[in-house]
Amino acid sequence: MNMANVISPSTVDALIKFGIDVAIILLKIVIVLAIGLLHVAYATYFERKVIGHMQVRLGPMRVGPHGLLQPFADGIKLFFKEDIIPAQADKVVFYIAPIIFMAAAMVNLSVIPFDANFVIADINVGLLFIFAMAGIGVYGIFISGWASNSKYAFMGGLRSSAQVISYEIAMGLSLVGVMMMAGSLNLSDIIRAQGESIFGMYAIPQFIGFIVFVIAAVAETNRTPFDLPEAESELVAGYFTEYSSFRFALFFLGEYIAMILMASLCTICFLGGWTLPWYVLKIFPFLSYVPGVVWFVLKVYAFFFFYYWIRATVPRYRYDQFMAIGWKILIPVAIGNILLTGLVKIILKEVL
Amino acid sequence: MTFKHFIKTITFIEILKGMALTLRRMFSKAVTIQYPDERRKIAPGFRGQHALSKRGGKAKCVGCGLCATICPSQCISITREKGQVTKYQIELLRCIYCGFCVEACPYGAISLTENYEYSAYNKQDLMMTKEKLLSNWDKYMPGTKGEEYYKKFWRPMSEDFGTPPGQAMYGGKR
Repeated sequence: MNMANVISPSTVDALIKFGIDVAIILLKIVIVLAIGLLHVAYATYFERKVIGHMQVRLGPMRVGPHGLLQPFADGIKLFFKEDIIPAQADKVVFYIAPIIFMAAAMVNLSVIPFDANFVIADINVGLLFIFAMAGIGVYGIFISGWASNSKYAFMGGLRSSAQVISYEIAMGLSLVGVMMMAGSLNLSDIIRAQGESIFGMYAIPQFIGFIVFVIAAVAETNRTPFDLPEAESELVAGYFTEYSSFRFALFFLGEYIAMILMASLCTICFLGGWTLPWYVLKIFPFLSYVPGVVWFVLKVYAFFFFYYWIRATVPRYRYDQFMAIGWKILIPVAIGNILLTGLVKIILKEVL
Repeated sequence: MTFKHFIKTITFIEILKGMALTLRRMFSKAVTIQYPDERRKIAPGFRGQHALSKRGGKAKCVGCGLCATICPSQCISITREKGQVTKYQIELLRCIYCGFCVEACPYGAISLTENYEYSAYNKQDLMMTKEKLLSNWDKYMPGTKGEEYYKKFWRPMSEDFGTPPGQAMYGGKR
């Protein structure tokens, strides 16, 4: 009984090749998920440390040296806590909401190119995919607020969906300039086009878009100063007020993964991803031996630090001020930026 | 909106100033005291847990009840039988550590020690009986510490503001 009698050798080869491809993708998924979740754990730790030191405190110090094991202690605590579900809650929707929220955030990690050849799904509409998934994440927020059957959660859900939807417009428009300059929606192509451009990173020619994107990214992930959906003094904890134990942890995880995602998106679209600008490499030629993923991760960390820094500095906006910033300032400015980018592009084409 | 205000708004100058401040603070030394490992220095005259002072191994307290009378939270209860103090109880949970009892006592019999770590799991442990209060004196006011404590912080006002010794008197009495 030979295999060759059942299926032809060429089919076997193709099957083996397919199997290897699947195995590679699975391996990549495991690596990205493991590293991503570890980053989430330590993002919470460094957030508490950085904000603590900015407020002249120490932050966590008791678990392990300098509190380094604190994230694990928190995780274990959350895992073993009692899972409370409100009696009047819509049970099925209540169960689904955190899963939608976290899944929508996590799926995005698949299109992020961490290095020149390390991306799980190298699709040609990467940027659109991220926007679509961010849009689905809103469902998680909104139905969690609805299913909890609580005023605070409901108000938080409403606010959050309004906020994410309106700031998504500003964010999308701010990235249109980048798309126009790169001529692609594929994230790897955007980075490559950036590395070959004169400035090396789009943050310099697209500085208007960059500022709009940074503000919108903070709003999109519900972080201070735009954390109105979770405004403690008004809404207890916003849409996840009624969640406890591991369901709460899922929301928490989703939020931090969304932060990682926004930081990565900023790195990819404005800071040059895994590349360094050519003028830096000209001054320090030895830097070209450092693997690209190091630069990518360093840029992501820098953006994370910015998140913490702004949280420690700026107080929360009022809701109407916040909406006014989004609709009356950021969106017109982003549209103006598109116009400007287009004009410059046409002029350069005519001149050269 | 004036031009200056406009420039201020679009350059985020105020937010940037605030961020510079937080960044500077990040590199300054934290004020946190890591409590069980480090402790705050106790100020002289600290008003902590109570103690009944002793002289020659016996309690100075005669049970006159002045402390119980002046206590604003009424946490001291005293019982006397046949000229003996049979019960002297302080409810620590009600005490506000004002120090009036120490000030009222004519014999310097009650004092406030420097001990502030006496948390307990039940109410009964926070009811200070006469025996506990007397043992507190041995524990937290050893040697001459107790006497010095009275001399320094709770001496009668007459010693500072009374009649000077050299003053002339009528009838030789002061």
